[in-house]
Amino acid sequence: FKVPDEISLLVIVVDVNPIWWGQQAQREQEFTLSKCLDAVMVMGNSHMAMSRTNKLAVIASHCQDSHFLYPSKSWKAGDDGADDASSSGDGKYELLSVANNLIAEEIRNVMSKTEVRGNSTDTLLAGTLAKALCLGQEIKSRILVIKAAEDCALQYMNFMNVIFAAQKQNILIDACVLDSNSGLLQQACDITGGLYLKIPQQVALAQYLLWVFLPDSEQRSQLVLPPPAHVDYRAACFCHRNLIEIGYVCSVCLSIFCNFSPICTTCETAFKIQLPQMVKPKKKKLKQTT
Amino acid sequence: MASLSEEVLLVVKKVRQRKQDGTLYLMAERVAWGPEGKDRFTVSHLYADIRCQKISPDGKAKIQLQLVLHTGESTTFHFANESSALKDRDATKELLQQLLPKFKKKANKELEEKNRMLQEDPVLFQLYKDLVVSQVISAEEFWANRLGGINNTDPAVVNNKQEVGISGAFLADIRPQTDGCNGLRYNLTADIIESIFRTYPAVKQKYSENVPHNLTEKEFWTRFFQSHYFHRDRINTGTQDIFSECAKQDEKGLKSLVIQGVKNPLVDLLSLEDKTLDEGYGICTTLPSTSNANKTVKESSNSAIIKRFNHHSAMVLAAGSRKGVFTSLLTASSSETSSTDGNSRDSDFFQPPVKKVKLQEAIEYEDLQRENRPKTVALNLKKSDRYAHGPVPLQSQHYTTSQDIINSVNYIRHEMMNYKPNLTEVLSSTAASSAIAALSPGGVLMQAGAQQAINQMVPTEVQGELKHLYVAAGELLRHFWSCFPVNTPFLEEKVMKMKSNLERFQVTKLCPFQEKIQRQYLSTNLTGHLEEMLQTAYSKFHIWQTRRMMRKT
Repeated sequence: FKVPDEISLLVIVVDVNPIWWGQQAQREQEFTLSKCLDAVMVMGNSHMAMSRTNKLAVIASHCQDSHFLYPSKSWKAGDDGADDASSSGDGKYELLSVANNLIAEEIRNVMSKTEVRGNSTDTLLAGTLAKALCLGQEIKSRILVIKAAEDCALQYMNFMNVIFAAQKQNILIDACVLDSNSGLLQQACDITGGLYLKIPQQVALAQYLLWVFLPDSEQRSQLVLPPPAHVDYRAACFCHRNLIEIGYVCSVCLSIFCNFSPICTTCETAFKIQLPQMVKPKKKKLKQTT
Repeated sequence: MASLSEEVLLVVKKVRQRKQDGTLYLMAERVAWGPEGKDRFTVSHLYADIRCQKISPDGKAKIQLQLVLHTGESTTFHFANESSALKDRDATKELLQQLLPKFKKKANKELEEKNRMLQEDPVLFQLYKDLVVSQVISAEEFWANRLGGINNTDPAVVNNKQEVGISGAFLADIRPQTDGCNGLRYNLTADIIESIFRTYPAVKQKYSENVPHNLTEKEFWTRFFQSHYFHRDRINTGTQDIFSECAKQDEKGLKSLVIQGVKNPLVDLLSLEDKTLDEGYGICTTLPSTSNANKTVKESSNSAIIKRFNHHSAMVLAAGSRKGVFTSLLTASSSETSSTDGNSRDSDFFQPPVKKVKLQEAIEYEDLQRENRPKTVALNLKKSDRYAHGPVPLQSQHYTTSQDIINSVNYIRHEMMNYKPNLTEVLSSTAASSAIAALSPGGVLMQAGAQQAINQMVPTEVQGELKHLYVAAGELLRHFWSCFPVNTPFLEEKVMKMKSNLERFQVTKLCPFQEKIQRQYLSTNLTGHLEEMLQTAYSKFHIWQTRRMMRKT
């Protein structure tokens, strides 16, 4: 039950990694970026249709930058809206059709500007999430991430900072994963209280979005939704990057090691551990046999 | 048996106990009774164990004295000496009256401490009930680690209570009520009496001198309130009043206070004077004289009240700061207050330079001084980039050739160039229904949710019992494991005792609990971990025992 006039913002972050989507288009004709964006639009429209005070934002996360698809700087309210070919003639709520057109236009712009760069092939998800957080400052908001490409390990610190910032601001991060599981997003959902779902059927994306991610957090408590995934919180040792369950931690710099070494390699502190006393076996007296 | 070093304070012959003739002995720390002719004591009680004594009423034929112990037991002595029974009994009673209070405090303190700890901590209380009341371990073992040496530490540390100060208005608070017919009722509580004694040691002296020999307590206080000492106008009405001496002492004290003056060099009391400019704003030339001779009656009674007022305040302050010899030697500032009471005998043998300290206080601010923080060592990180990597192990990236990249980018650009949303064909019905099936209970995505959280399946009282079991088991296991390594014979004994305690715990507490939950058809294994812990303890004990056997052979 929502308090009337309470603004609720949904920020949809779409991973539009051109390399992944380009490859995807070659593997699977049924579900391409166009189809994905259509599903996102349906989700956005539904969210705005739920209540007059609901607001929407859509951000595209590219490997060059992150770009707002909606609301867009090029939007001029009022006159332009009417003459545009946007009036699709189906009696749609004007706000929705305007939104859809803007999103389409912007994504066309973004993708046309894609350049080929070998060195950055990862989606700049952390940066996009940071932008999303900036939007939802004073209003109740949540973020839905639609993830396509794999995690980028280099963004770890930024990602974690974003997650904790979201937690502090009570902003939920939901994740809908199309391809490979993302440990970072699993953590994000676990920490902020959102839902993580890797969908088995990409073509049914719209259905999953509407069923699982459309309700907001209060409504979710009344529904039966997929249970939270088990998150692997094991730490990785600093020496080998192996995930370990039990390890040694330097008390000075808090770096984690899988084996004991008398000097911490990070901060060069020397440690002494008292090893258990070695008990010398007592010499048994040999009995003399007569 | 009586040890030779015990001092015997009183011997009373012909005292019967349980219909047997014998002799009663009162010693330094205990009371004992031995039957006639025998050399040893059959009854012996430490004064610390005795809660109170009772005597038979005066009219009765049998002259008896009963000792009630803290445990509730009581022992009765019958004084059977025909001639001096009553005297004997009374002598015994009085001696006990003097001795018991000395020992009472020690015993009570421990018990009080225990009670307090049990009351304050419900977990501890529950643990106590589980372990001691059901006789899994004895009370001594339970309290062994917890009391923290009430008897060992010096009283200065243990006695953390702050001393209560004296309210300046305590005399005024007595508030007499009219009795109806021309009399006044004064309600005296123990607190007020204590305040009076602390503030006016002279009164305390008079009290100890006169009560209970000459006057009863009631009479003493009646006289106190009647005397002019108490009332405003202290006009000495002769020496009949026992308090007139007190009044004289107070006068002396006040005079010595004035002579002592204030030790603070920054305060000059003498420059303060009551100078009035009289009417006429100073035009009038004759100054009013302040000599005593011209004082009117009103002025002299005013000055008497003021004098009393000042004296009372000084006494209250002195009583508050009079804590014994130590504090007066401590700091320079307190040396000032310790001699505010003109009658105090503990003069300062040390007189640290008060002036210097006062001046320092006046010119320096602590906050503005440089902070003396302990020296710290700076953190020196050689490889700080290690922190930037998360627990994502460096996986092998998939390799995309540059040709792949170029192809993909071109493809996508081509696709999106003419992108138009087609919202009427987003989802086919088959896709939708299979998605819904996957999301419905029992579907592919809903499997993990079938396992309900344990705490929803187990009733709360069972959970509570389990918690208590864990706390109790934890306590026993802690005692057990702390015995290792077993170095001393004491630890050997303790480890064996703890093992039997653990077994007893398992039998009396754990097994019934397991049976209970089985009866309730709870299939979850709630006690698996507890059993595991106990098993580990048993196997450790077994290993230790076999090693010990081997060492002996």
